[in-house]
Amino acid sequence: MEHDFAKGVEELGRQIDSRIASYFSSCVHCGLCAEACLFYTETGDPRYTPIYKLEPMRRLWKEQHTFWGKFAVKLGLSKPLTEQDFADWEELVYDSCTMCGRCSMVCPVGNDIAYMIRKEREGFSTAGYSPVGMQEATHRALTIGSPMGVTLKTLKAALAHVEKDTGLKIPMDQQGADYMTLFSSMEIVNFPEYIESVARIFDAAGVSWTISSEAFEATNSGIQIGSHEAAGELVSRVVNAAESLGVKFVISPECGHAYSAIRWEGPNLIGRPYKFEIIHILELLDQLQKDGRLQLSGHTDTPLTFHDPCQIVRRGGVVGPPRDLLGKVASGFVEMADHGTMNWCCGGGGGVSANERAEELRLKVFDRKRKQLEELGVKTMVTACANCRIVLEEGIEDREMDVEVIGLTELVAEYLTTKSAQ
Amino acid sequence: MIGQLIDGPLWYFSLAVFCLGVLFRFFTILRAGLKPDLAIPRAGGAAGALRNLFTRFVPRRDVATRGRLTLVAGYLFHLGLFALLFFARPHVDFYAERITGFDWPALPYWAFIISAEIAFIGLLLLWLHRLLHPVTRLLSTADDHIGTGLVFLVMLTGCLALAQSFEPLRLLHLFLAELLLIYFPFSSLMHTFTFVFSRGYTGAIMGRKGVNA
Amino acid sequence: MGRVLFPQNVADAMKGGWLFLLCVLMLLLLVTSTAAIGAETAEQAQAIPVPNPSADLWREVRQRDGIVVGKTQVAGVDSGALINPYGETWRNFRMQQLIPYSGYLLVGMLLLLLLFFAIRGKVKVNAGMSDKKLFRYSLYERMIHWFIASVFLFLALTGLILLFGRSLLIPWVGQELFSLLASASKEGHNLFGPVFVVALLLIFIRFVRRNIYQRGDLTWLLKGGGIIGKGHVPSNFFNMGEKSMFWLLVLLGIVIIGSGLILVFPLFGQTRVTMELAHLSHAITTLLMILVIMGHIYIGSVGMEGALDGMTTGYCDLNWAREHHAQWAERCEQEGQVVSEAEVSRLRGESSGGHIPPAGAQESGQ
Repeated sequence: MEHDFAKGVEELGRQIDSRIASYFSSCVHCGLCAEACLFYTETGDPRYTPIYKLEPMRRLWKEQHTFWGKFAVKLGLSKPLTEQDFADWEELVYDSCTMCGRCSMVCPVGNDIAYMIRKEREGFSTAGYSPVGMQEATHRALTIGSPMGVTLKTLKAALAHVEKDTGLKIPMDQQGADYMTLFSSMEIVNFPEYIESVARIFDAAGVSWTISSEAFEATNSGIQIGSHEAAGELVSRVVNAAESLGVKFVISPECGHAYSAIRWEGPNLIGRPYKFEIIHILELLDQLQKDGRLQLSGHTDTPLTFHDPCQIVRRGGVVGPPRDLLGKVASGFVEMADHGTMNWCCGGGGGVSANERAEELRLKVFDRKRKQLEELGVKTMVTACANCRIVLEEGIEDREMDVEVIGLTELVAEYLTTKSAQ
Repeated sequence: MIGQLIDGPLWYFSLAVFCLGVLFRFFTILRAGLKPDLAIPRAGGAAGALRNLFTRFVPRRDVATRGRLTLVAGYLFHLGLFALLFFARPHVDFYAERITGFDWPALPYWAFIISAEIAFIGLLLLWLHRLLHPVTRLLSTADDHIGTGLVFLVMLTGCLALAQSFEPLRLLHLFLAELLLIYFPFSSLMHTFTFVFSRGYTGAIMGRKGVNA
Repeated sequence: MGRVLFPQNVADAMKGGWLFLLCVLMLLLLVTSTAAIGAETAEQAQAIPVPNPSADLWREVRQRDGIVVGKTQVAGVDSGALINPYGETWRNFRMQQLIPYSGYLLVGMLLLLLLFFAIRGKVKVNAGMSDKKLFRYSLYERMIHWFIASVFLFLALTGLILLFGRSLLIPWVGQELFSLLASASKEGHNLFGPVFVVALLLIFIRFVRRNIYQRGDLTWLLKGGGIIGKGHVPSNFFNMGEKSMFWLLVLLGIVIIGSGLILVFPLFGQTRVTMELAHLSHAITTLLMILVIMGHIYIGSVGMEGALDGMTTGYCDLNWAREHHAQWAERCEQEGQVVSEAEVSRLRGESSGGHIPPAGAQESGQ
């Protein structure tokens, strides 16, 4: 992507809405957000303070929205933003923030810092100051249809495997189905067992579902790199496919930012509400289980804990369902000290895991999760996000820990009361 | 002569700057605009905004441990200043005479002094924290120090004028308070009011998502 | 020449050791001055032998032979005494001894420090400043240090205005301005007094453990803290002089706080005599504390290279620590707590802008 600084500044200025203006007006530089950020707590580097990552945007806000800023510009006293500032801050904005939103929970004046970072990235990506890895992922998503380059052919091959293993028919492009299911590339490539679990559960619960060959990819690189155009395009593909199939619900898979993108940002990106509803797979499973359509039998006694994916729990609002489900299938479920909406990020969200440059830092800040696990002394961690899962597994390997990571949907599928048993 | 100026015109001028400035700041925030959220909410935004407005007065467990210096000093300062500003007898009398026309129960003298001491301890510790902690050192701008300094000077001159028997001391206190009023709308002291906006906006969006922010 | 006269760690010693000398000096002064008062009153007593009809009455009234409490309808402390004769003694002591002598002492101390600086100059780190650091004071420790420092300076300033104002400030600023200044000082002093109690308590709780005397301290004392003899006297986190200063400040502080509280809250039935005594002990102990702190400020600022860093940045130079707190430095080095200068500046966020140092530097924190 070429560098266009002027356009970037213009875009950054356009992102300053009432929320951001009030946030910058309220910030008293107390530094408490640093204490909530794993990039600061694990490195001790004050430049990883969340609000400091917004310095370029703050300076632009000051120039455009405040008396002193305008006054200083008139007199030629203030230094306007330079291209060098963008270059200097690129790593802070992309490498050291997963937009996990933990800082947004602790700010005493209530600033939603993760939202501000999301907006700041719009300016940075327009200016061309974004990590190459994320640029490429976005490019692949727009051209091929998946950030990891997964094509329909790959999906079909994976589905064929699942069909063979389960003996079930996976419905494709079925008009008028109730639910249309999305997957993340990572599930198709690394965790096909997720697809298998979904197929088995839906079969057991008698859910009418389908996969669209037009739009099966749930991830959205656009909201990670900060490009509302790319993000809007990716969302509209799903919306068009779902509306042409006439489904009632679209199921967001076990992928954090995919849920945020399609559930909360999507309608705003395409500028209209959907004609269908979005439901997260955990919400659906919880609902099926409560309605009695999903029969579970037996449970595991292994002590285990749940890693809350930030975008699903803290930023997505799916707090209860994973706990209800775990309550059904695991008797040894224990919570980490900071859990639910205050859980610590795996360190690889917000596109950080797609950014090779950030790998070393990401593995360093994994220490936070390591400490949490060691404190609890549990050897099994359940999560509900393919990206978290990969990042956690890499961290566990890097720290030579003896911890197993499993997906919640798979765990639930394991204790499914099969038809033959009924 | 100068005394009359401070006591009369300058007071009204600074009060006008303060009021108009604060309103203007509200206007600039609202003028920036906000697109409506089209996503179907789980719960009402208004309830979330209202809840967040109050829950943020209480810190989260984890940050309460790691940031306890800031929190303790912050509470001391804000609570002390609040009591001092609105419930000290001289202040209540001043407001009654100049602004409201009616008065309200004031703190007894000893409680007034204790709240002043608490506020001083808090403010000094916060300022030192700002100067010494790597994070706040990095974040702080001239504005933060001017704001803190002005508040400190107003409080200090107020405490020097406690005997209430020397007019110049009262005028000095009043003069600095007027400077503070004039500076207020153009600084981060605005958080006194804008925190309602920030907490409200965040609380609304989180409330819509069904998260207790 | 000066270097021969004042060996390297005189400065270390100054942090505390020589202050004892001063204290002794002060005590001597006190004894002589009280003796002088005693002599004076004795002379006066002998000077009125002439019998006079009203003399007995006035003698009773003035209570020369000690306070006789009379009967009165007025309920209140001391309301039974017509005249408190000690008031005059107190006044005379304050005007004729306390103010001039404490003035001389403060000026003398200032001159002494100037003289010392002229002869000895700034005590350098012999091995030169290194690029390695040791973590010395936490954020909280630095915060409470500067907290008590600022409160102390304010109290000292307002207190000195109250003590010396009449003789020094009135000729200069006039009575009207001084009356205003005195009122302001008194209110400020009274309000910040209790704040100082809180500050001293925080300091005491935080630093008391490191200030308990250890076996090594005796060697330090026997070697005169490095004033007598050659070479460094190794010491722990704090040396004997610093520890002594700590305890001196704590003990003085207790007297200062106690007497101050008696003075600022005259509502617990204190008699005038109690108030006078409280005032005198308040004045003398605070004066001592100011003298001690003057030395402390000298050594912490212009007196010694590298001494201030620990209290501002939290980190001190490794070579400085080796020369002045050898035992502590050795232990830190053994425990691998040495930090590079680059790491310190990273942790303090001193690198420019948002630029992140190469990943290697991030790992060095491990």
